[in-house]
Parts: sequence; structure tokens; C-alpha cells
Amino acid sequence: MASNVARYKTDVWSDWCPGCGDFGIVAAMQKAFAELDLDPAQTVVVSGIGCSSKTPHFIHANGVHTLHGRAIPFATGIKLANPRLTVVVNGGDGDLLGIGAGHFVAVGRRNVDITVILHNNQVYGLTKGQASPTLRRWEQVKSLPRPNIQDAVNPIALAIASGYTFVARGYALWVDHLKELIKAAIRHKGTALIDVLQPCVTYNNLYTADFYKGRLYKLEEEPGWDPIVHEPSIDEIDEKVARAWEKALEWGQRIPVGVFYVNPHVETYEERIAKLNPLYQEKPIALQEIEENGTPAISREDFIKLFNKYIVEVDRR
Amino acid sequence: MPLRDLLLLIGGPQGSGMETSGQILTSALARRGYGVLSDREYYSNIVGRHSYVHMRISSHTIPRSLTYPVHLAGFVDAESVFTHTFDIASGGWLIYDAGTDPTKITRIPSMEPQVRDRLLGKYREHGIGETVKDVIEYLEKEKGVNIVPLSFKLILNMLRQKYNMTLGQAQRFRSTIIFAAMAALLGLDADSVSYGIERRFRGREKVIEMNKFLASKLIEEIRSDYGTPLALEPSSIDIDKLLIATGNDVVGMGKIVGGLRFQSYYPITPAADESTFLESHESLVVDGEKKGNILVFQTEDEIAAIASAIGAGLTGARSATATSGPGFSLMVEALGWAGMNESPVVITYYQRGGPSTGQPTRGSQSDLLFTMFASHGEFPRIVLASGDPEEAFYDAINAMNYAERYQVPVIHLLDKFLANSTFTVPIPDWGRIRIDRGKTIFKAEGDFKRFDKSEPISPRPVIGSGAITWYTGDEHDEYGHITEDPINRVEMYEKRMKKLEIADKEIPEEERAKLYGSGKDFLLLGWGFVKGAALDALAVLEEKGLKGAYLHLRMFIPYPSRMVREILDSYGAERVIAVEHNIMAQASLATTMNTGFKIGRYILKYTGRPIYVMELVDAVQRIVEGGEDKVVLTYGE
Repeated sequence: MASNVARYKTDVWSDWCPGCGDFGIVAAMQKAFAELDLDPAQTVVVSGIGCSSKTPHFIHANGVHTLHGRAIPFATGIKLANPRLTVVVNGGDGDLLGIGAGHFVAVGRRNVDITVILHNNQVYGLTKGQASPTLRRWEQVKSLPRPNIQDAVNPIALAIASGYTFVARGYALWVDHLKELIKAAIRHKGTALIDVLQPCVTYNNLYTADFYKGRLYKLEEEPGWDPIVHEPSIDEIDEKVARAWEKALEWGQRIPVGVFYVNPHVETYEERIAKLNPLYQEKPIALQEIEENGTPAISREDFIKLFNKYIVEVDRR
Repeated sequence: MPLRDLLLLIGGPQGSGMETSGQILTSALARRGYGVLSDREYYSNIVGRHSYVHMRISSHTIPRSLTYPVHLAGFVDAESVFTHTFDIASGGWLIYDAGTDPTKITRIPSMEPQVRDRLLGKYREHGIGETVKDVIEYLEKEKGVNIVPLSFKLILNMLRQKYNMTLGQAQRFRSTIIFAAMAALLGLDADSVSYGIERRFRGREKVIEMNKFLASKLIEEIRSDYGTPLALEPSSIDIDKLLIATGNDVVGMGKIVGGLRFQSYYPITPAADESTFLESHESLVVDGEKKGNILVFQTEDEIAAIASAIGAGLTGARSATATSGPGFSLMVEALGWAGMNESPVVITYYQRGGPSTGQPTRGSQSDLLFTMFASHGEFPRIVLASGDPEEAFYDAINAMNYAERYQVPVIHLLDKFLANSTFTVPIPDWGRIRIDRGKTIFKAEGDFKRFDKSEPISPRPVIGSGAITWYTGDEHDEYGHITEDPINRVEMYEKRMKKLEIADKEIPEEERAKLYGSGKDFLLLGWGFVKGAALDALAVLEEKGLKGAYLHLRMFIPYPSRMVREILDSYGAERVIAVEHNIMAQASLATTMNTGFKIGRYILKYTGRPIYVMELVDAVQRIVEGGEDKVVLTYGE
């Protein structure tokens, strides 16, 4: 297997602050892509707006840098039109859980086969450090004039509640661990979330690398931890969801990273469409021939047959 | 003497099957080669509020406009009799439920107080009492309307006994009473009525049988009492096949022929029917041959609708979304992204009354300027507007062609009138259909200059083609990477805008505006659904000695400036009248902006109801002969 990480690098200079967690995330993505031997031309990195959403420019694969909060629906359109593409979304906590929260939920309901990488640093970095939806109540990062008085949303719990079938958390500075999570998420068939904790060296003086040091622990190292739904029975799903939920709420002295929940048995949105319309899986809609030398693939005769229900044969008598 | 044209009205509470009556009549008439147009007017309501179908039938042409008064009316409830008291022609025919005779106008809970008070004012003026019976007497004695009183109760009881059904089930046959009574007076033959019934209830044998039984019985009885006073002359329209379709359907058909592969939408009136139509045609299989398939994607909101459509477009799927004003309001940020990223996407925009929720089920043309200027920054877009079902069909195809050829977002404007009216439409002419994918590339490789500056329109390898491309809403270099370099900024900005100049050169002006008629007394300037009423008004005005013309605007960006300026100049400001469904005369403003020609005469309607020929004729006379500058139209309930 080719393991050429350089293949996934661009010449574009990363203008993140020195020490930014985004570097670790990009490095983990490039390594994961290399180990999965993804074809850059058949891979798409889709992002929203913010520091983290500059990611596609630094990865040598198709990149679509979209609007604030809207990476998921852009990515969904790309994936549904051509399911052969590998689609990865990068977005910040403000992007995916604030302005784009509706889409974050909706994609889980569909279980579209994409991977969502959430850059979670509790602040809006590019606009100078305002509180993001993952900053907890009464916390005051350094650029806030007064403490944050909104509660935080829990990305892991929200993803599980929304129907994501692969839910994990990584840490931006543990690049190899994160790389493995990204590989598993991409391999997983269905919507995957990786909540990546990352220090913001410029604006977040609370959740620093020092803060995380000693608090993070790996779920896979817990005795008996098994996040995978092996049999698609209600009982097993309930049990795995309940355990994942419990871990999702854990925060403070001990913060879990690793895989929280995997259910490989849920049909993807693409499979659901194909069930209703088997033509869908024969050839991606993006690649279907719709014309020949400018003449539509649907002829006048086809039209009359397709819309027969709407046509009246005049019978003057 | 048999009639050549006829107008009719079917009224009843929403959910009582008035549309069904209209559909069955339309099929029966189309079967015999008549042209039919029917507008559906309804509240934003599922059951109970007053709705009606307003129909024009013609033996010699495909109708394109509506007018009042009507020659034939059929009402299932008292509210309809009250609401449309003044819509029926002298000497016309009225079918109604005699069981409603004692009902008072003050006892109709579903009637809006403003409607009731306005009607009561008119009743006082005309010395009409407050009951249905009073109204019927007025119509019969004062207006010479021929009354066909039917006892719905007796008829439905007869049906209940024969088929052992509940009152609730029998109530559904109120629509049968109406279309059968109308068919009787129109002299429609039994076979065509059966055809209409079978077509409407396709495959539901029991329902078909019951309808046929009731219809034939009623037709026989009514005909023996009243004859066929409204018999139509045989159709002389030279056509062997007719589509019966709404504007929503026709746009859907156009999209399918044009190669649409991805349609996203969030439910909204009056656009959603188009997506539902597409959803029922997702598999394109003809005689076992697979022609492809469409994916209809219902999203969580309109932002996701346009975002996913743009995403699908990046991969090479022809993609569109259909919406109305509130939905488009949510789409505008992404519209700019498509403009910045030279990405094809079509927004099919069915205008309804605004602002805000406005009048969700009523028509309007008040969003033209919004679509022309929506989203921050400057970027190229194409805005085109359809005025009838045939234009809507070809425009749906061309919108996708323009989107790919010029790599821009395209907004295809329609309105509720066109969307929800039912038309008889000739089968499209394949000679007029071409698919143009422009510089779309499906095979390429390597890092690709997606925004190659050497030409305004760059080759566009789709994602998945083998090329590697980048896109960003930031200003970018040729590869799609962010750059704030001032010189690149100028070059990219101009590259994008230049595409509009190319479109302006390439798309013939005659396709972007069309002049009808050559009379020099006045020029009506309009767009969208105004077309039909304007054209028919010209004919009526000519009989009255006023010879005019109608300039129909089809594309607002790029605007056909040279042609329109020339035509407007040939009339002069005194003789140009803007006719629109809005208060600002938006198309006239767009015209002034693009031609420098100042327009100062207006006929405007913003009640949410269509412009009717008779009120337009009157308004033109008031302006041309009476010297008025502006007439605001309000006819119609």
C-alpha cells in the first residue's frame, strides 16, 4: 500500500497561528488518506467558514470551501450526485453546531455516507475569540468581556440523538490516534462524526494543551469497552447508545477520546434511495448521459410515453 | 347558436372536490379538442375556506387569459353564491344547491368579515336581501340569469340508498353534481364525460362506476328540463394530442427533457407541486429502456436545498431547486457562492404575494428586483421569466443550458397563476430543444486551473472527472485557492462579469423580449402571466378602435436593452404602459435602468388575483383615452 503522505499536501501556506490544533488535524487527515490510499481526484474535502474551514486548501484532493455552516448540505449534494466519491467535511464548532446545527442534525437522520470532522476549540477564532456553542456556561475565555451565559451543546450526544452511525472523539495533538479514527470513520458506511478537541493557542486560555494533558483517556483502553453494535437488535442498540451517552457526558477530570458508538447496520441514505429506485445505484446521476450532440436523451416519443397520464388523444367524433 | 368561447366558475369550500370537477370537465373537453385554461383560487387552508376554479373554454384557440363575467356557474355552497353574486353574466346560467336557499350571508362562519361587509354593501345598493334565496331572485329577475336549482340532499340520498354509503362518503359526490350539471348544459356527450371520469379516477373502478351512474342520471334529467343552452361549436383547433398540465407540471417536464438529475426542495406553496411531480418521475424508463434517473432531495431548509443543488452541480449533475419568496430569501447567500464559484445551478422561482408570508396561495410578480439584486457583492446571474406553459417548458430547459454554458446561477421566474393554473398544451416541438453543456468536462486529470483567466468562461472539469479542483467563496486564484492580491482581484472580478457580456451577445434579443402586434396607439409592457391577458386585451381594444401592441419581457439579466430601447422610442413615453402584478412596476424600473427610457403609465394589480381581460381593457382606455397615468386593478374575489 502506498503510504505517501506528501501526495496529499499542497503548496499553499497554512496561515494558522503557530501551535494551532488545526495542523494536527490536517496532518492526521493526510496520513489517513495516505494509508487508505485514497485517490485525490475522487476525494472531496468540503468545509464551511472559519480557521478550520481553510483545511481543503492544504490538502491535495478536491476541495470545496463553502459558506458558514453549510458544508454539510454542499457535501450531501456532492455525495448523492456521485456516491463513488469519498467525502469529508471539516468545520468548526461554531460552524457545525451554531449556524449549521440544523444541517448537523439532518445529515444524521439520513445517514449519508460522509465523514464530519468537527474542529472543537470552544471559540470562534477567526472573529477574535467569541464563545462558541461548545463553551460551557460561566466560562470566560480571554477575549470575552463577560462570562458566557449560554449552555454548551454536547456534540457526541447530539450526534447520537440525530442518528449518526459512527461517533468518535479525537484530540488534535494525538495525530496518530486521530488518524486511526479518521480512517475508521471514512471506512464506515454511514454518517460519521469525529469531535476533535483542539487548543486554540490564541483565544482559548482555558482549554489548553496543559488542560487536556492528564485528563484525556482512550476509551479503547478501558476494559470491556465495545462501542460496536454487532447484532442490529433493539436491545443491543439501546445498550450501546446508553453507554455512549454516559461517556458523552463525562467531562472534567477525565475526558474520554476514541470511538463512542458504531452501528454498521443502518442503511445509508444512498441505499434507501436505491431501494426505492434501483436505477440510482447503476450509474451516479452526475455521470449519466443526458444528451447526444445536443439532442436530449429523452425523445419526443419517450416524452409521450413518460407523460402518457397527462396526454389526451383528441377524438373529435 | 353554438358558442365559440365560454367562461365558467365552479365554487365551493376547499376540499369539496371543486378541482376534481374542473379536472373532469377539462379532460372531457380536451377529448373533443377544446382548449381549456383554468385558474385555481384558494386560501392557505386545507379544508373549509372558499375556493373556486375559473375556466375559459374555446373551440378555436388554446385560451391564455381569463375574464368576467362568466356564462356558467356551479356552486356547492351558499358562500359561493354570495361571493360570486356579481360575477355571472346577464343571461348566464347558475347551478346551485336549492337546499341553501334560507342560508343568510351573516351566518357563514368561513366567510371573512371584510368580504361579507363588502358584499352586504353591494347588496344594499342593489336592494338584495341577506339569504341565498334573495340573491337567486335578484339574479333571475334583475340579471336574467337562468337558474338550475338542484336539491343536493335528494340527489345524495338517492346515491346513499343505491350504494349504501354514509353521508360523509356521499358528500364527496357534490363535485359530480357540479360537473355533470355543467356537462349537461354544455351539451357534452356521454362518452367524453365518461372519459373525463375514467381519466380522473384511473383504476378506481367502484368510484368510476358511481360517478358514471350519477353523472349520466343527472345529465339526462337536466338536459330534459333545460336542453343544452350552452352547447359549444365543434372544435376547430388543429391538434391531435393535448397535454393537460399545470405550470408546475410543465416545468417538471421541461426539466426532465432537459436532463435534470438532481432537484432539491423544501416544501413551500406554490412551488412544491413541481418537486412532487418530479418525485413521481424519478425513474426514466421507456419500454424497458433505462434513460436515467432523477434524485429529488427534500431538505431541512432552503439553505440546504440550494447548497446541495450547487454541490450536485459541481459533480456534473444538472441540478435545480424550486421555491418561492420566503425560500429564496434563505437562499441568497449561497446564490452568491454559486456566482463566485462559477457554478451552474437553477432556481425555479414561483412568485407569490409578499412580503413575509404575504399571501401564500395568491399570485404576484413582486420579486423581480429581488432576484436581480439578491446577495451581497457583484456577480453574474441570469434571470428569465415565463409567461405561459409553452415558454415555461422551453425556459426550464434553457435555464439549465445557460447555467452550464455561462457557469452562473440562473433564476427562472414564474408565478402562482402559471404554477397552479391548468392548461391544455400542445406537445412540445423537439426542433426547438437543444441541450448545451458548455465547457463541462467529464474526463480530465491533474491539478486543474478551474478558474483559468485566459478566457472569461473556463473549462469546467466536474468533481470526479479525474482532475483536482478547488472552490472557495473567498476571492481566489486560477486554482481556486484564496488570494487577496489586488491585481488578481481585478482580473477575477472582471472575468466573472465578462460572462454576462458574452451571454448578452450570444442569446438573441428576440428570445429575450417579444413584440406582439404593431398598433401604434399604445404599447403595453409586461412580463410573466400578464402575457395572455395583454394579448387578448389587444384584440378587444382593436374592436373598440384602439390599436396597440404588447412587448413581452422574457429575460431581465442580461436585459435586451438595444431592442427594447428601440421599440420604446418608437412609441414615446406617453404611449408606453407598464402592466404588472406589483406596486412598484418592477419590470418598468428594470427597463429604465437598462435602457434609460422613463416609463410613466401604469396598470398594476396586487390583490393576488390574476389580471382579467375586461379590467385591463377598461384600464387601457382610461389611460389612452381618459388621460390617467395609473390604474390599479382589483377585480376578483
